[in-house]
Amino acid sequence: MTKKKRLLMDIVTPEKPFLQDREVDFVVLPAEKGEMGVLPGHAPFAVQLRPGVLRYREGSVEETFAVMGGFAEIYKDKVSVFAESAELAREVDEERARQEYASAKAALSAHAPDMDMESAQASLKKAAVRLKVAELRRKRPGQK
Amino acid sequence: MASLRDIRKHISSVKNIRQITYAMKMVAAARIKRAQGAILASRPFASRMETMLTDLYGELGEENFRTSPAYPLFEQRKDHGPIGLCVITADKGLCGSFNNNILKASLAWLARHRGRKVRLALVGRKSRDFFRRLKGLDLEIEIELTGIFPKAGYAHAELLAGRMLETYADCTACGYTVIYNEFKSMMSQRVVEAQLLPLSRHILRDPSCGPLCHNFAFEPDKAEFLGALLPRYVKAQVYRILLESQAAELAARMSAMEAASNNALDLISDLTLKLNKMRQTMITTELNEIVGGAEALGG
Repeated sequence: MTKKKRLLMDIVTPEKPFLQDREVDFVVLPAEKGEMGVLPGHAPFAVQLRPGVLRYREGSVEETFAVMGGFAEIYKDKVSVFAESAELAREVDEERARQEYASAKAALSAHAPDMDMESAQASLKKAAVRLKVAELRRKRPGQK
Repeated sequence: MASLRDIRKHISSVKNIRQITYAMKMVAAARIKRAQGAILASRPFASRMETMLTDLYGELGEENFRTSPAYPLFEQRKDHGPIGLCVITADKGLCGSFNNNILKASLAWLARHRGRKVRLALVGRKSRDFFRRLKGLDLEIEIELTGIFPKAGYAHAELLAGRMLETYADCTACGYTVIYNEFKSMMSQRVVEAQLLPLSRHILRDPSCGPLCHNFAFEPDKAEFLGALLPRYVKAQVYRILLESQAAELAARMSAMEAASNNALDLISDLTLKLNKMRQTMITTELNEIVGGAEALGG
């Protein structure tokens, strides 16, 4: 039997290539309209991402990331993610995420007249994602 | 004439200055490595973005492209009304003609667009101070970013480009030009005037293979996708420009400080020579006096 087909995954952010040609078995992308699982042999697909949690499985190891919006392209068993920023779950500082979330929420409820609602919403969302990733990590302490 | 003590004082102050300029040079040299690394690291994202854009354009076709939400970003607008200018300088001086060249270029640009309202996006303390002092022109500062170097990140680019896209979208500025220093090499920088908005059509080259060879599915649909992709492309461009300017600033500072350290060394050796000569003449005169005195007594 031939070797099991796998996906190649890239995560590129503007500041640096985050992950390059990693062989993985299964990827879950936070797509605009809900999470989307990708297995080897997926049809060519381009999708817009929202700030959310990205997971991939490599053998029995599962890694979790926080990605902050962007795009993903799936073509010939290669998943390329263009995110505005990406962060490994175990590198997220939970305390800081919590503070950011609180301050974003406070800013949103303050309703300053000259405030940019959209950007405040966006920063709230981002903080929420980071918090969620940090919580996920806490729930499954056995993982690296 | 300067006394021995004056010269010694002068030498020690020049030495102090040299220490500072030399330290600044070393700091710039250490930072420039990181700045160059940042430029290299940002390249994959930008180039992948471009391939995706061309692919998408190929898939979309000219007809649909004209009606897509992305089209306004390419549209050439009429030649009057307010216009945008983005000037990128350093926060600090002591980097040769780096800031001056940029400010001169932007003055020339302003002279060419006399009579139009100009919306400014300023990066760097030097440009902010300069344009705040400028009187008698119809200027409005849209956004100013200071203190971002030498740690310019994508977040800064997002902020800057977001503001520019906003003013462009609600037609309060038709077009944006960026004036910045391009990092050519360690020894030279070049002032570049580039049009940021509207985007030029050449980024949408014909894709190398026909539109059918990929057959992508899209979520959301293609037009919307392109509309969401392009602002990010602009942001990636702005990020690249910021990084270029950052590296160029460090290179300029490095060569300026190297020149200053060398000049200080020259000055020190000149002054030391002068000091030694003067001491020698003093000793000689003293000796002459002693010998003369002894002869007069013993004579």
